[in-house]
Amino acid sequence: MIKAILVFNNHGKPRLLRFYQHYTEEQQQQIVRETFHLVSRRDDDVCSFLEGGTLIGGSDYKLIYRHYATLYFVFCVDSSESELGILDLIQVFVETLDRCFENVCELDLIFHVDKVQYILAEIVMGGMVLETNMNDICSRFLEQDKLEKSEAGLSAAPAKAAAALKNIDLPSLPKDLKLPDLPKLPSFR
Amino acid sequence: MPTVSSRGDAMRGLAVFISDIRNCKSKEAESKRINKELANIRSKFKGDKTLDGYSKKKYVCKLLFIFLLGHDIDFGHMEAVNLLSSNKYTEKQIGYLFISVLVSSNSDLMKLIIQNIKNDISSPKPVHVNLALHCIANIGSAEMSEAFGQEVPKLLVSAHASESVKQSAALCLLRLIRTLPDAMTYAEWASRVIHLLNDQHMGVVTSAASLIHTLSQLSPGDYKGCVSLAVSRLSRIVTSTYTDLQDYTYYFVPAPWLSVKLLRLLQCYPVPEEPAVRGRLVECLETILNKCQEPPKSKKVQHSNSKNAVLFEAINLIIHIDSEPNLLVRACNQLGQFLQHRETNLRYLALESMCLLAGSEFSADAVKKHRETVINALKTERDVSVRQRAVDLLYAMCDKTNSEEIVAEMLAYLKKADYAIREEMVLKVAILSEKYASDYTWYVDTILQLIRVAGDYVSEEVWHRVIQIVINRDDAQGYAAKTVFENLQAPACHENMVKVGGYILGEFGNLIAGDERSSPLVQFNLLHSKFHLCTPSTRALLLSTYIKFINLFPEIKQTIQNVLQNDNQLRNADVELQQRALEYSQLSSITSQDVLATVLEEMPPFPERESSILAKLKKKKPASVQAIEKEEEKMKKSPPSIENHVNVPKEVPANTNSVDLLGLSTPPATPQQSTNSLLVDVFGSVDQPVAPKPESNISKSETAGSVDPEAAQNKSNLLFSRFLFKNSGVLFENNLIQVGVKCEFKEHTGRVGLFFGNKTGNQLQNFSASVSMGADLQGKVNIAPQKEAPTQIDGGAQVQHFVNLECITFFSGSPNLQLRYQHASTPQQVTLKLPVIINKFMEGTNMPAADFFNRWKQLGQPVQETQKIFQANHPIDTEAAKTKLTGFGMSVLINVDPNPDNLVGSGIVKTKTSQIGCLLRLEPNKEAKMYRLTVRSSVGEVAALLCTMLEEHF
Repeated sequence: MIKAILVFNNHGKPRLLRFYQHYTEEQQQQIVRETFHLVSRRDDDVCSFLEGGTLIGGSDYKLIYRHYATLYFVFCVDSSESELGILDLIQVFVETLDRCFENVCELDLIFHVDKVQYILAEIVMGGMVLETNMNDICSRFLEQDKLEKSEAGLSAAPAKAAAALKNIDLPSLPKDLKLPDLPKLPSFR
Repeated sequence: MPTVSSRGDAMRGLAVFISDIRNCKSKEAESKRINKELANIRSKFKGDKTLDGYSKKKYVCKLLFIFLLGHDIDFGHMEAVNLLSSNKYTEKQIGYLFISVLVSSNSDLMKLIIQNIKNDISSPKPVHVNLALHCIANIGSAEMSEAFGQEVPKLLVSAHASESVKQSAALCLLRLIRTLPDAMTYAEWASRVIHLLNDQHMGVVTSAASLIHTLSQLSPGDYKGCVSLAVSRLSRIVTSTYTDLQDYTYYFVPAPWLSVKLLRLLQCYPVPEEPAVRGRLVECLETILNKCQEPPKSKKVQHSNSKNAVLFEAINLIIHIDSEPNLLVRACNQLGQFLQHRETNLRYLALESMCLLAGSEFSADAVKKHRETVINALKTERDVSVRQRAVDLLYAMCDKTNSEEIVAEMLAYLKKADYAIREEMVLKVAILSEKYASDYTWYVDTILQLIRVAGDYVSEEVWHRVIQIVINRDDAQGYAAKTVFENLQAPACHENMVKVGGYILGEFGNLIAGDERSSPLVQFNLLHSKFHLCTPSTRALLLSTYIKFINLFPEIKQTIQNVLQNDNQLRNADVELQQRALEYSQLSSITSQDVLATVLEEMPPFPERESSILAKLKKKKPASVQAIEKEEEKMKKSPPSIENHVNVPKEVPANTNSVDLLGLSTPPATPQQSTNSLLVDVFGSVDQPVAPKPESNISKSETAGSVDPEAAQNKSNLLFSRFLFKNSGVLFENNLIQVGVKCEFKEHTGRVGLFFGNKTGNQLQNFSASVSMGADLQGKVNIAPQKEAPTQIDGGAQVQHFVNLECITFFSGSPNLQLRYQHASTPQQVTLKLPVIINKFMEGTNMPAADFFNRWKQLGQPVQETQKIFQANHPIDTEAAKTKLTGFGMSVLINVDPNPDNLVGSGIVKTKTSQIGCLLRLEPNKEAKMYRLTVRSSVGEVAALLCTMLEEHF
């Protein structure tokens, strides 16, 4: 079972938090800080699994994470999950984001908190893996998007302006989340 | 594929707000902006103008963003709940998102939320149903289980529900079952749920596999049928070349997640017996192993990851089956390759899996071949997580032949090991060196080296243990004394070394006193030179050593007395030190040498028992230990501290008061005194170094199949008799298994929860637990297990089994619990008494004095009364007796008996057919240390029985 999903950037700023067990605001932020502290000091070539921090349940839980450009994706899971399976699930999540947002970057996560949450909801539900098929996830998301547009009707107009604004405001920010060909791919024998 | 043009759709206000925040130059500016926004939203929500759905959605979105930044949100909940009843999907969706992120399960709004979910879950639109299911699963509270426990399974097996709904329903149900496992088993759905494994849609199958996995653990019997279906599904994925896997092929690996799930599911059951199914399964596993040898179809890491995810799970299953030597050895070889792999993740997982393989008799040797590599990993791995696994594996593969090398390597590594894992390593080294010690000089050397290298991480248990062993082994004592003496000569030595040294020299210093380099005075001066640097507890121990020295070496008596009588000791701020110094100096000056010699006689050997270090390590291991097991380990964490047990044999001088006077030895605990910490006292006296007093053997018919049947028998009787006064605790324990009990009784019915804990690392197979009744109970008690008892217990795991019972009429005796299981292919059998005793059905009744005496008189016929006069078995203590009677089921009536020392109680035994009133009076005679116990009851037999049961316990 997945206990929590944390996405934060290289400075520890949370970009997406999803807890499948209730924690207060204060506890959530502490968990993020603790996890960031544990994960960020690890080199990129060490292994992707480590024991959870004390706040999240200690050694009964594992942190499984991947580091993409500016973002860390951390899943906190118990022993009933396959480590490599979760690692792949992170990849599925990121690839799906990439498809839905066209070259996803950290900014997309910031400006579309809600949409990112919806995509995640198609993959993980109540701490359990719901769907792993990217085509399915994307098509469900697109369906929702269509619904949104048909419902939005007139109010879609100001939204266009917002898009323009986003681009004007933040031109210098790089598209920083490049999709992962992980460094140093070993040729598998 | 088309991507979302979502960049254009964002809500404008939201985007502006986020940009503002991002442009803030300082933390203060950010807070200011956020507070401004919060005030704005608050006023909008409170304002007179009703907001349209779009605005609500926008504001709720802002709140979510603010929450993500780490600000608490204390409003907006109601608005979010209102969004749930919107007709627009997007508004509903954001409402649900807010609720599952921000609302805690005990919120006042929950009723309202549940109402909304009820509407959506019966909606004809699948997207709405899905939103509702997601919300139920995300909150996953007991309240949700109660509200939707019936609704969700219907969706799951419905013919009309869409695939995505079924998929969500399966997981939603799983979450609800995890929340309230007792409330639902869905035996009636079992076959329909199992057949979801045959569903067309792979997504549905994947979700269903998760659900069935959990259900199988809860009630294996009902879901047995899933094994053959899972095997055939797996085989279709793994071995077929053409199947239509829809889009579930991930980087050229067919349906990796489903494969992993199925392989996990199969680990819930023993290997299938039907040859065809078994053959198919073995074929699958072989194919998976074969595929690893094929050249990769892609160079992407995702390809090898998912392929290996399946492989590792297959290896876990092979280990679980543990009867296919060929597969085990192949698995081991495969892992061996991974040990040298470039991917750190694979090395990590290979070490982890190999730990399990090391436990199987078929592959243990194959694992040992990799010793060099593992030791190398310990030295060269850059990642502490990986090194930690290497330590675990070394521990697991250690045996007589390689123990010296492995222990040496671990000791060497300990010097530079990460602080986080040192304590665990110390425990491991201590256990290995004890377990595989061929000669005790090596053992003593190793432990002392351990203290030198990592003294700070040597816990109490470790140094207690070395002392226990030295005391019990004659051949180790001289060497130990010599070695600690040498070690103490180092200019700076760890306090733990001083403790061990102090204790051992106090006991065995005479063995090396012949050598003038370690003459009595030299020994004393050496120890005393450390005295002032030590903490009070160590000093107290050293004082005990000094008094022992006075006994061992009369020639230095004067020197020691001077130290004891020094103001530093006699007027020490620490009361314990002061008292010891005073009492020891008196003891040494008043008593004769003979008396002193008897009082300070050498420690008797400790009774053999499970190493407390092992218990501590078990505690550190992440396992799903449940309440009872945890309690037990908590207790073991604080074993009787050795230092307090300077030997004071009880029969020795003056009177037993000297024990208390000296404050040296805690008297054998009278366990009933502390009913608060029930579990603790179960072991309290069993673990005392003082041999447990054989308490009354309540039942003599039991047989226990452990190594030492008699000892185990005594212990289990002892444990059983405690249950007269309490309803939970440990009923039985040997090296392999621990049986915990928790009972509840209400009127004439009861429920007994049995908790079977496997103490070994291996699975106990062919497990069975059956409750039977002797002829004397037939027809008097009805017993029905809630469901079938588990048939196996995984290593280190604990399983539960519940039994319901009903008392038809009065009975004496107790039902039997028979356990059978197989460990290391030897069948074992244990018969225990279940603590279902007539007094469990007794409820206390309160009544004023007048009523009591009236009833007492009414029950005045000779047959209705039983009276016993007996010697007190325990110190006479009114409070303890009260507690005991209350635990027994009686109400103790206050201010009824004119003599305050006397206790009176009353209770009613409730059986299905009758209610039997019982009155009791207990009169102590403190001078004679005697009791008179009178029990009156409307049924004479009951009075007699209760009286007999109680007499042994006062």
